Amino acid sequence: MQRTISSGKRGISRQLKTDLTGYAFIAPNVLGFTLFTLVPMIISLIISFTDWDYTQGFGNWTFNGGANYVEMWADKWFVDSLVNTIVFAVGVVPVTIFLALVLAVVIDKFCYAKLPIRLAMFMPYISNVVAVAIVWVMMYSPWGPFTQMVKMLGVENPPQWLGDHHWALPAIMLMTVWSGVGYAMMIYTSSITALPRDIYEAADIDGAGELTKFFKITIPFLSPTTFFLVITTFISSFQVFAPIQIMTRGGPGTATHVLVYYIYTTAFTFYRMGYAASMSWILFIILFMITLVQWRGQKKWVSY
Amino acid sequence: MKKWLSMLMAIALLVTAATALADDVITLRVWGGVPAEAGPQASIDLFNEAFKDKGIQAEYERFVNDDTGNLKLETSLLAGNDVDLYMTYTPAVLQKRASGNMALDLTELVERDGFDIEGIFGKMALSYYIDGKPYSLPTKMDQYGIVINKDMFDAAGIEVPTEWSFEEFREIAKKLTHGEGDSKVYGMFFNSQQDLLYPFNYFSVQTLGGDPLYHSDGTANVNDPVNVAAIELVNNMMNVDHTAPTHTDSVTQKLSQEGMFITGKSAMTIGPWMVRSIKDRDNYPHDFKTAFAPYPTIDGVRTYTQGGYGDHLCINPKSKHIDAAWEFMKWYATEGMLPLTSGGRVPSANTYDSAEVTEYFLKGAEDLLDAETAKNVLIVPASNHAVPSITTKLPEINKVLTEELENIYTGVKTVQQGMDDAQARAEALLAK
Repeated sequence: MQRTISSGKRGISRQLKTDLTGYAFIAPNVLGFTLFTLVPMIISLIISFTDWDYTQGFGNWTFNGGANYVEMWADKWFVDSLVNTIVFAVGVVPVTIFLALVLAVVIDKFCYAKLPIRLAMFMPYISNVVAVAIVWVMMYSPWGPFTQMVKMLGVENPPQWLGDHHWALPAIMLMTVWSGVGYAMMIYTSSITALPRDIYEAADIDGAGELTKFFKITIPFLSPTTFFLVITTFISSFQVFAPIQIMTRGGPGTATHVLVYYIYTTAFTFYRMGYAASMSWILFIILFMITLVQWRGQKKWVSY
Repeated sequence: MKKWLSMLMAIALLVTAATALADDVITLRVWGGVPAEAGPQASIDLFNEAFKDKGIQAEYERFVNDDTGNLKLETSLLAGNDVDLYMTYTPAVLQKRASGNMALDLTELVERDGFDIEGIFGKMALSYYIDGKPYSLPTKMDQYGIVINKDMFDAAGIEVPTEWSFEEFREIAKKLTHGEGDSKVYGMFFNSQQDLLYPFNYFSVQTLGGDPLYHSDGTANVNDPVNVAAIELVNNMMNVDHTAPTHTDSVTQKLSQEGMFITGKSAMTIGPWMVRSIKDRDNYPHDFKTAFAPYPTIDGVRTYTQGGYGDHLCINPKSKHIDAAWEFMKWYATEGMLPLTSGGRVPSANTYDSAEVTEYFLKGAEDLLDAETAKNVLIVPASNHAVPSITTKLPEINKVLTEELENIYTGVKTVQQGMDDAQARAEALLAK
């Protein structure tokens, strides 16, 4: 009896000890998250309802209700940026994912020396964005391969790519697809290797062709991966900044002006932190809604 | 264990000793945008030598003078006393820093020492006051002009102009342009990929004064006929005469004044701030002579001269050594700047001798720079400088103009239409 009680007591303290150890282990992360993510997020929400000018020092602001949230819809820069961002994402995401899927399957099925090829495809993704962007600026220059190719096809006045109102955004989108496709392909590749082989064998026995197998087996089985990639690529496309800053600075005109670039300009060129914060929250809400819709929609096409 | 302990104690001792030493000598931290080796370090060395006995020393820290670099500086200023003195490069930023408690109001120090700002820097210094108070000493004079390849002018039999109209400028550029493709030599290079607003700040100001984008009551004057004519001139030279690289070429090929002018691909270029590169024979080998001419005016009649003050030296209000910083400031503005003059920065104080300034300016490149025009155009101060005084929504208006100018230069809009649109957008911004 005596023994049981004491061991019970020890049991409680052991439970507490285990809990504490657990908390101790996650403490650095929780602390970091609170300090560098949660608190700044709350502050930015507060700031977004003020007219804070960065030069006026922290706390030196007046609340202006939701004026920032109203102003942006009449702001040409914001509206242009929003439209460009949507065009960018809607163009980049499907192309990247479709190309990645095709490449992953083709390399998996029909290629020798798979590893070097995959590595080559993956390189752009792990290369420094600044270096990649500078190289692409040269590729788009009048002496670059794109202009030369178009000239060889017989076009007399090839577009000036990054200097052209209609071509600048597609030009940057192409670069983004190129640098992102390797990552998506890698994710697909790892899922493909985990696909059950027996289903393919059964399909073979039933006389299904390669295309049928691709559409009826591979795509449905990969749908969770596709779902994951759609969400992550969409978010990263909405947050595109570095290539714009390096290649065009939003120009010519507002042709490549995207949301994050405008938020940056508002905050650090115009010093309007309150307005910039409110736009960041709109960006957050848009991303949140899109993700929510995709999450709801996945029941219709994702099969686990 | 013992070893560790004794080592720790030794380190502690050393640290105390070092701080004890440092207590006697004040070390000022000076932040500027010019690379240390291009003059600032030499200047700081002179200061340290001169003020050794007075217990003041200085250290130089370079920040890159772009958005990111200025942000880094301002973050340090708002955060505390890491910076004692620093440079501000444009009036708009000076205004922000003065009103944002990032720059010290110098009134008290100026009065205490009877430091005569107007007497030393001229009347123009007063226009850099914020709300009637000095927050900086304007140490550098920016009096620019068209940079000219004198050998090409001589070969074409054209005299270096001392006064010219937009039309004459355009005709001269035509005469200097020749060749095709890779071997084409342009008459002019506008450096538009760096800044699209030069035509306003360098050409229009000479007729309209320091605020070419505003009426004197602060309303927008973007589509003033003079501004429109200046843009018309640039647009014609780029897209009609083809005597200057187009804006698109400048952007897509990342052209630069160094790459165009010093390599002999253009006979003229927009501004002399690359004198530093002209002197750098290792990286930019060339043997032609460079001369200077004042900026052309709309009809050849000059009301103002492009010019202004730059390198506004400010004191951090949170500095612990304000008196020492003030000593440094006075010394730098009135006698310490010459090492930077070799890099092309002309001092604004009249305490310098213009012959000596010219000598420093030409130093090491006497055979490459034309002494006479350098002195007349860049060094001897004009008496009718165009001085900016209005900065309302200027960053926003500049952005609007940059976009509309891109529309104009790429042929999306006509000059008049683009400028009218810019005017309407500027009015809308100012109405907010």
